Amino acid sequence: MSILKTIAFTFLYILLLLSNVLLFGQKSMPDVKEYQVKAVFLYNFAQFVEWPATTFETANSPIVIGVLGKDPFGSFLDETIHEENVNGHPLRVTRFSKLEDVKECHILFISDSEQDYLKKILEKLRDQPILTVSDMNNFARQGGIIRFITEERKTRLRINIEAARLANLTISSKLLRLAEIVPEEKKIEQ
Amino acid sequence: MEARMLSTDVFKLCLKVFICSSLGVFSMDGFSQEASSVTRLKKLTVEELMNIEVMSVSNRPEKLTEVASAIQIITAEDIRRSGVTRLPEALRLVSNLQISQANSHDWAITARGFNGLPSAGGVLANKLLVMIDGRSIYNPLFGGVYWDIQNVLLEDIDHIEVVSGPGGTLWGANAVNGVINIVTKSAKETQGLYISAAAGTLLKDQVSARYGATLNPNLFLRVYAQRMDQRNTELDGDKTAHDQWHNTQAGFRLDYNPSTANTITIQGDTYYGEANDSISYTVTDGQNLMTLFTHTFSPLSNLTVRGYFDRTWRRRPNNVANPFFYELYTHDWDFQYRFPVGANQSVLVGANYRFQRDQVVRGLTPLSRDMPLYSGFVQDEIDLANKLLKLTLGSKFLHNVFSGFEVQPNARIAFTPNDVHTVWAAASRAVRIPTRFDSDVTITPIKFDSEKIAAYELGYRIRPLETLSISLATFFNHYNDLRSLDESEPPAPPIVLANSQTAESWGVELSANFQAATWWRLRGGYTNFHKSIWAASDLVLPVSKEFEGVDPKNQLMIQSIMDFPRNFQLDLVGRYVDDLSAVPAANVMAVESYFTFDVRVAWQFKSSELSIVGQNLIDDQHTEVGLSKIPRSIYGKITCRF
Repeated sequence: MSILKTIAFTFLYILLLLSNVLLFGQKSMPDVKEYQVKAVFLYNFAQFVEWPATTFETANSPIVIGVLGKDPFGSFLDETIHEENVNGHPLRVTRFSKLEDVKECHILFISDSEQDYLKKILEKLRDQPILTVSDMNNFARQGGIIRFITEERKTRLRINIEAARLANLTISSKLLRLAEIVPEEKKIEQ
Repeated sequence: MEARMLSTDVFKLCLKVFICSSLGVFSMDGFSQEASSVTRLKKLTVEELMNIEVMSVSNRPEKLTEVASAIQIITAEDIRRSGVTRLPEALRLVSNLQISQANSHDWAITARGFNGLPSAGGVLANKLLVMIDGRSIYNPLFGGVYWDIQNVLLEDIDHIEVVSGPGGTLWGANAVNGVINIVTKSAKETQGLYISAAAGTLLKDQVSARYGATLNPNLFLRVYAQRMDQRNTELDGDKTAHDQWHNTQAGFRLDYNPSTANTITIQGDTYYGEANDSISYTVTDGQNLMTLFTHTFSPLSNLTVRGYFDRTWRRRPNNVANPFFYELYTHDWDFQYRFPVGANQSVLVGANYRFQRDQVVRGLTPLSRDMPLYSGFVQDEIDLANKLLKLTLGSKFLHNVFSGFEVQPNARIAFTPNDVHTVWAAASRAVRIPTRFDSDVTITPIKFDSEKIAAYELGYRIRPLETLSISLATFFNHYNDLRSLDESEPPAPPIVLANSQTAESWGVELSANFQAATWWRLRGGYTNFHKSIWAASDLVLPVSKEFEGVDPKNQLMIQSIMDFPRNFQLDLVGRYVDDLSAVPAANVMAVESYFTFDVRVAWQFKSSELSIVGQNLIDDQHTEVGLSKIPRSIYGKITCRF
């Protein structure tokens, strides 16, 4: 009898534990992939960045999100911007295999595969109105505009305002407020 | 009386919990894994977006390119998109493994040949080390794996690493021809509720449920249960093979991360199954419990301590003429420490103690044996030229109850001039320590020694395009003291097991991964294999060769994964396996070569997924190994995530 009682109590305890968890437990979203979130960030950047008026030929010219090098997004980026527009500008994704191919582009994600050419890339793009984004170490410190940092599985942003200013881009304070700003004294010297 | 009262209460509570939880579940916003979550993610503010935890696409594929061994990895995605329903089927997606299905529940699985006599249904394949989260699952009875009891919930698998070739230094014993390491997701990665149900023609039914909870911000739990029923296959002349099978398994995993430097994992499983055969049926039953502690001193230095207990039990209850009873207990303690030496060296040292005790009712002398196994290893990874040239030297030392002290050294070198090319080479020695079957099957004690292998490998990996990676591995293996069946003179029994064969094997393993478009991925591989075996004494019976394996010379596997608009998915897996020659001496017929493919069509709607999978679609039925014919089959499946 006492064994039965123990078993019953154990069950009761597990069930209580489980029920608490089911009803009040914290719930995180399952299996959201890193680049799924980063794709949505890129989409958000289109809304929080202002390009110089001359950048767009017409009021409905597209905002082009470019990916330079090995594309880590798979289909996520295309899914994210599918049929979306920002202030009348439809969004487009273009993939570039090398720097020379980068023509019309407003946001450029530079893949890790371009690590070796980063200096050259940033040098060439520094005064063009292109929002450069990457995961690479020291990207913002080297003159890139926004770097994604993944820490404890969460995505943070590091922004180099000086680089944005050089590129003639205005980043909304809503975005700056949430980002880590690269120290001013680390000026870009490419 | 009191107990009855209590159980009624428990029942009521159960009902209450069920109702509450269902309500709770339905009011929660379900996040599906795929496209529909993009819409939801887009509605979040930047701040909310920053708080989303992401599943990192690990750097493994990049690191993979620098590894100096024939390693192949399949991911959770590869498995899910193939439509396979259980572990041995999932392993078929790894092209450097040679896999044949014997019947509804038995499989012959090996790497680089030696899959045993076909009619043995895989039980003689003895040169592979297989681990689930570091828990070794090959048995010391035959040195093989009972695949009918390895029912990991496929949804829990993070990835499977397969190394073909000796892995004797780093990994445990028995890593002679290859190592399979099945790694499951952490409890943190399997949060929420997952339910799936499938039914079909060969797979009668499969029902799985998993729940993951966050008990406190650093403590994560998952619990799961799965039931699976498999129908009979057929023999020649449309006779049923009476090999239906079912298994029920449940388990949990607890992950505790008290700080970024320390993690503790406790996990366990329990299962019960019944596998039928033409004469009787086998009841299988087992439990395991594992604890893992890791401490990270720095990115280059860490400590891992793992301990587990495993119990495996099989018996054939109603077979008086041929009783079978096997029980195995395993305790295992493992310790690994990695630390840098100077700027260019990374040293890994490890120690392992394994204690196994088994019990049979007949056939082996003694009926029960204690099998302690002590082993240690040291490995040094030396960066010779600014990461361009990496040399790895190491050796494992082990002591076992059958063959005593053994040394398994290896040397590996990898040359990575840039991101595109890697050339690697390796030379290793490994041993297959004797099993109970080898040493204890006769009453008169025989001295069965370990089988030794010297392996030479040369490999090349190239990534000619950002979207394409190709890996080529070649090998030459020389086996000494390979098992043989020898004639003997009285008083010994007419046939004894001895170490009187020598063998050589060589071959090529080619694999590739290609992202053809954002919506289309292809992966596949081709394996070419040859071996020859010689008798080293006049007493060796001719059938000894085939006893060790009849292996296909060529095999090909290709997997296609396609995403279509409106959340449709169309996936294919095709495979070709060369013929197996007949073994007249053992009354084994030849097996014809075959090509067959599986198709999966799936549609995702919010947090649910509907899929239909057709398996082995080309022929009505085909034989892979043994007598059973594997039929064309189809099943439907519904999956929900909350």
